Amino acid sequence: MNIPRATGMPAMSGDDLPGTATAMDGGGLRTTAIRVSGLTVRHRRTTALDAVDLDFGPGVHGLLGPNGAGKTSLIRVLATVAKPTAGQVEMLGSDLHGHRERSAVRRELGYLPQDFGYYPGFTVREFVAYVGWLKELSAASAPAAVERAVARVGLADRIDAKVKTLSGGMIRRVGIAQAIVNDPRVLLLDEPTAGLDPEQRVEFRALLRELGSTSTVLVSTHLVEDVAAACTDVTLIEAGQVAYRGTPRSLAALGANGHESDGNATERGYTAALRAHRAARAAGAGR
Amino acid sequence: MTGWHAPDDLVTRYADGSLAEADAWSLETHLENCGPCAVRVSHAARAGAAGVMLAEVRDAVLNAVREPAPTTARTAAPATTQVPASASAPAVSRGARAVGGRLARIAWAAGPALRGPWSVAVVLVAVGAVALAYGGGSASARPFLLAVAPLVPVAGVALSYGRHADPLHEIVAASPSGGLRLLLMRTSAVLAVSLPLLTAAGLLLPPPGSRLPAAPASATWLLPGLALTLATLVLSGYVGCRTATAVVGGGWLLALAAPVLSATGSGLTARLTQQLSLYFTGASPQGGWAAAAALCALLLAARRSAYDRLETM
Repeated sequence: MNIPRATGMPAMSGDDLPGTATAMDGGGLRTTAIRVSGLTVRHRRTTALDAVDLDFGPGVHGLLGPNGAGKTSLIRVLATVAKPTAGQVEMLGSDLHGHRERSAVRRELGYLPQDFGYYPGFTVREFVAYVGWLKELSAASAPAAVERAVARVGLADRIDAKVKTLSGGMIRRVGIAQAIVNDPRVLLLDEPTAGLDPEQRVEFRALLRELGSTSTVLVSTHLVEDVAAACTDVTLIEAGQVAYRGTPRSLAALGANGHESDGNATERGYTAALRAHRAARAAGAGR
Repeated sequence: MTGWHAPDDLVTRYADGSLAEADAWSLETHLENCGPCAVRVSHAARAGAAGVMLAEVRDAVLNAVREPAPTTARTAAPATTQVPASASAPAVSRGARAVGGRLARIAWAAGPALRGPWSVAVVLVAVGAVALAYGGGSASARPFLLAVAPLVPVAGVALSYGRHADPLHEIVAASPSGGLRLLLMRTSAVLAVSLPLLTAAGLLLPPPGSRLPAAPASATWLLPGLALTLATLVLSGYVGCRTATAVVGGGWLLALAAPVLSATGSGLTARLTQQLSLYFTGASPQGGWAAAAALCALLLAARRSAYDRLETM
């Protein structure tokens, strides 16, 4: 598989580059938080992911791609929810095979599904506390962790409101709060900005950058400007394959020549990378 | 006691410390034996100048006890420090919240089944059987209850866990509590509600008339109910909770209905009673149910990691 890699990765510290974060820290070798190889996911006949190799270290990683490209399938496998059809998944140094290892990884995991429900009648505090309980937060630290998580998404004043009385954007923020309640080392957010208004999106990007300074954050989105504003690097997925990896800047560079009518530079870069990948695939298939 | 109680002015002066020492001692002696006066003094002390300090000390102690980690104590601090004006109020509400929190935790662990229509169904079956027996004077209440009772916890399993039952399931499945442990906790809650309620309903039923064969005793369904519930859990590991419940529940109904409907002769109630006796009464059927329950428990333990993934649930 041909993955065009950005050549000059500008303005990034070496530790943030995928595959290079192997520095020693107090606990021993700090490995890349997420590493998948040959990951294939099939749902009945359709192939959602086709032998994907990826790795992610600390930072905010944007996962871009058209609808149905396989972003959600990747995130659900990394969330330990879905089982891959084939391939290796390694998270936080564990291969996720044993029940004990899986539980250990899950304790360090935050996950915002694309669609999530809540129990009717729960308040924001109860909902987030319930997820904290599921994640085995200690009874002593849970109340403070819940208030902190809710405050970080800007809902401190609505903490005792019933979830069902909130607007769609607020419910999405409750979803983000439940994902970060355990201060996860790996945070997986599937379309977190859907339903947020522009001001909330700006606030959310700031939160993302803050979270990315300590943990590995994977954000799937179809909003290219989210990636440009908040992500340290970009992975473009198309039809179950990795179409492009680089930084927001290198993606914008791809779209440097073009008209503003086709969107801003990042959006043009996104389209250019997508088309390049499709052309390469068509050439490969025609051979 | 003597019937004497401390007058209000004495209480107030004691609370604010202006009472003479000898009078204070004698009041203290009285307080040791008089609850109502002790309560009044306590209220007066809390309403006075010392109250604010008492509440603050109480808060500090509770925080120190509840939050051993210094980092979490610091994050919790703003909540306590920003309300010194009404310091006694948050102290009370925090205590209430701790108790409420424990209850809420139990309710959460109980899962969605107990919050939904399932608990209504349990009550309907129990009350329905009793109402049928007394209201309609029908002798079929007992066999009806015994036939339906094992289905109730089995149905509770389907409504407790999995993507069909739990709106939070996607998040649950990604958490360390997800999987067999949570499924078992929720099933235990289902059993804890349904077993006592349905057995009690059975005990409340009037004894059957002499012209009908004696129905099995009210508690005889417990082991079969447990075994069928465990069988549902085992099957859930392969096909998901909803299908497992349909298979086990349907199988139970079929095992009852097929012989009852195919037999001829005596009335339907009598035939159902006979069939239930065959399944429930005596040492060997009960031993068989116990063995089945134990076998299912072993299978569950052996296959516990199969419950970790969403797809099967």
